[in-house]
Amino acid sequence: MDADFRARAVLKPKGLLYEDFVPGRHFKHHWGRTLNEGDNSLFSTLTLHYNPLYFNLEYAKAHGHKQVVVNPYLVFTTVFGLTVEDFSEAGGAFLGLEELTFERPVYAGDTLRAESEVVSRRESEKNPGQGIVTWSTQGFNQRDERVIAFKRTNLVNRRSAAR
Amino acid sequence: MNPAEFTGDDNYFEDFVPGAVIRHARGKTVGEIDNVLITNLVLNTAQQHFNQQLMEQTRFGERITFGGVTLSLIIGLASEDTSENALAELGVDKIRFRTPVHHGDTLYAFTEVLGVKDAERPDAGEVHFRHWGVNQKDELVFEGERRVLVKRRPRAGK
Repeated sequence: MDADFRARAVLKPKGLLYEDFVPGRHFKHHWGRTLNEGDNSLFSTLTLHYNPLYFNLEYAKAHGHKQVVVNPYLVFTTVFGLTVEDFSEAGGAFLGLEELTFERPVYAGDTLRAESEVVSRRESEKNPGQGIVTWSTQGFNQRDERVIAFKRTNLVNRRSAAR
Repeated sequence: MNPAEFTGDDNYFEDFVPGAVIRHARGKTVGEIDNVLITNLVLNTAQQHFNQQLMEQTRFGERITFGGVTLSLIIGLASEDTSENALAELGVDKIRFRTPVHHGDTLYAFTEVLGVKDAERPDAGEVHFRHWGVNQKDELVFEGERRVLVKRRPRAGK
């Protein structure tokens, strides 16, 4: 009956490869994400991030905020997360991060989205099946205000070596 | 409510002296609750972080912790001593991931004060840190720099 579903199935692969990352290519990444208070409390407490701005409402108000501030490292990991299917899901280590700036506070209820551009790429001498790609990523809130910007560098599989 | 009563008194802007190196007191053993939960929470779709069977077929043999989690944990481990009295995180730079982190590894953080400078607002200053993260085998797993806007010590009675 359904016994041949495996034989009939065609893999829908995810992610792009080295050859896809032409310098200057622009990406608008999928999904977006509204960050809520639960996300923020969970993230800040799990990562032992002990600045009360991120989990004490009265403390945040005393510092000029109307709500608790979303932990900037949750803002970073979320904007990064939105880029992964396009950039790094097909494999390759996350090597480094440069020039990350937090540009304005994010509050619970804000919706983040991500855009990026390919900055540069080169072949890897140590890993012939891979290349090294650097992207510049920006995260925006629902008012299109930039909240974060960074450059990240990854090893990326080459088409010749993939799967 | 006096906000100053919620935070320590040894980590205001004036307390950071360039060249000082801090060994932070706590470590954290990284588990699924850190890596898989946060990776999934932030929509990071790379299954190298959450598909154990896939990773058993690779030279790693097991899931690898998302670098964003490693970074957040090292800064978290350093946070009480470096930014409990911060008004804002300004940025990070020169971040490198040196060794993969696996479930069961225990991370520790170290910090050097690289520099301090005045900020635009008079009640705070900017502190420039270098952080290192090491595992239970004392291998370097993470290093990078970070800038934080830290409150100056409030005057008495304020």
